[in-house]
Amino acid sequence: TGPPRGGRATRAPPGAMAAAPRGRFFCTAGRGLEPFVAREVRARLGATEVDCVSGKVFFRAAVGPGELRRLRSGERLFLLLKRRGPLPVCGNRGKMLHEIKSLVIEEPKYWLDIISVWRKLHGHEGKADGVSHSALVLKRKSEEETNIANKRQKTEQERAVVSEKCQVEAGETCVVPEGMSSQECWIESKPSSEFPSKGCGENPTANEQLSFSFRVSCRCSGAIARILTSQEIGRALGVALVQQCGWRADLRDPDLEIFVHLNDIHSVVGIPLFRLPLANRDYIKTAGLRSTVAWAMASLAEISAGALVLDPMCGLGTILLEAAKEWPEACYWGADISDSQLEGADENIRTADLMDKIELLKASVKALPLPSESFDSVISDIPFGKKFKMMNDAQLLPDILQEMERVLRVGGTLVLLLSAELRGRVAALASCAAGGSAQAPAVAGNSSSSAQGHGESLLSRLLGSLVPEGAYAVSLGKTDAFIHKYRKVSAAGDG
Amino acid sequence: PLPPKLGRPSELPPEPGPGYEGDEEFLRRLHHVLLELEVLEGSLQCPDSGRRFPISRGVPNLLLSEDEA
Repeated sequence: TGPPRGGRATRAPPGAMAAAPRGRFFCTAGRGLEPFVAREVRARLGATEVDCVSGKVFFRAAVGPGELRRLRSGERLFLLLKRRGPLPVCGNRGKMLHEIKSLVIEEPKYWLDIISVWRKLHGHEGKADGVSHSALVLKRKSEEETNIANKRQKTEQERAVVSEKCQVEAGETCVVPEGMSSQECWIESKPSSEFPSKGCGENPTANEQLSFSFRVSCRCSGAIARILTSQEIGRALGVALVQQCGWRADLRDPDLEIFVHLNDIHSVVGIPLFRLPLANRDYIKTAGLRSTVAWAMASLAEISAGALVLDPMCGLGTILLEAAKEWPEACYWGADISDSQLEGADENIRTADLMDKIELLKASVKALPLPSESFDSVISDIPFGKKFKMMNDAQLLPDILQEMERVLRVGGTLVLLLSAELRGRVAALASCAAGGSAQAPAVAGNSSSSAQGHGESLLSRLLGSLVPEGAYAVSLGKTDAFIHKYRKVSAAGDG
Repeated sequence: PLPPKLGRPSELPPEPGPGYEGDEEFLRRLHHVLLELEVLEGSLQCPDSGRRFPISRGVPNLLLSEDEA
């Protein structure tokens, strides 16, 4: 069964590497999704001390990596090492670098402790206990090697700075490379001199210290960015760590990545827990809508056991996939008018092994072949012509909403993803509806054509039966959008 | 909404006979048709209008033409 909705805390599952003290973590989040991450870590992980800032959610939890990996609304998950206020900024670059180094650099023992925590967190991930230390390193290596297929090969300079640019903050854009090509798999055989102890059973600890590799990923914005660039900071920290700990800098496939984020709000140091972003779903073959946003939308729909859920413009089915994975005890229906989209959705559903949960129809959202009041939830991303040349016209909105409202049962939920433009229209008409729908055409008045007037009065009536229950601005990377939730309180035909 | 007509009429009677609740064989076949069979190619027929909706690769095409809508 899926995890509890809402704020009920869960216990750590039996056998989880609880590591009795509650670990401190933070999760990066697409702009606007922070509240969803906060709610999810509380519900799924029983997290405490949950603290949201722009683009990050900090928390404490005593769960193993298996449970942590299941987070659905976040981008990347990190072990938190340090969190301080913003560094004092002065014009002197040398002094600034010194400040930063003081923040990040520690005695080797500190790092070894961290590494052992990190390894403990990972060492029990489904593998037999009692595996030797060097074998653990070997095993982790081969996992990482298969994950290299998902890394882009850039110049080493860029690699130090970019990694997966999945965090969105003021002045930065969220760009996640989609469809990572498996041709970019570069499993190199490392020269044996670098890892003399692999599989030899020699003194692993000493050799690991010698051969241990790291990379610093630095991101800075705000006042600090005016003095120093992320690259300079990353490089300076890298050099200092090599000197301090005797490690090897490896920008491509390090054993350990140290993430440093400096801005006007705070200074944060962390270690990513997983190679791949949480947002990468192994069960989705071709992504449409960003998986984190799709999951967030489904989480608003209040899907309960036995519910019937519809996405009448399902495209590649991302929303249905996220929902069916998380709330498998419901029935999901998807409709689309595009053959190619339906094919993609069908393939996604087969890959995810959700054939018995998700039904597909070729149908138009303007004339749904479905009985009235038959669904508990309707969830949809209304396309705004960014990717698909489908609907660029806000005039279609009334017809679309009419059908969505019709098939929804009273008390059911409607969750939509709207562009800023569409949202503006819906908001304007909602305020008309609130004022008394019968006179809507006159109120909504500047429409020149009667067709548009009819559409607007229809919309007003519809919106009278659809009560707004929340709106969330979210970033989709290059654009912004709004998640709107409604509840149907009566059939639009009545009063 | 639309009951499928299968090309194997001998499998199921057109209507459940009396006492079908106890007919193990019938129930098993019914269960199979309802829950285990996936029509990949075929059609759905509307019982009222008789209009056929084709099913292709498991997905029924329920689009209506302009004059039908």
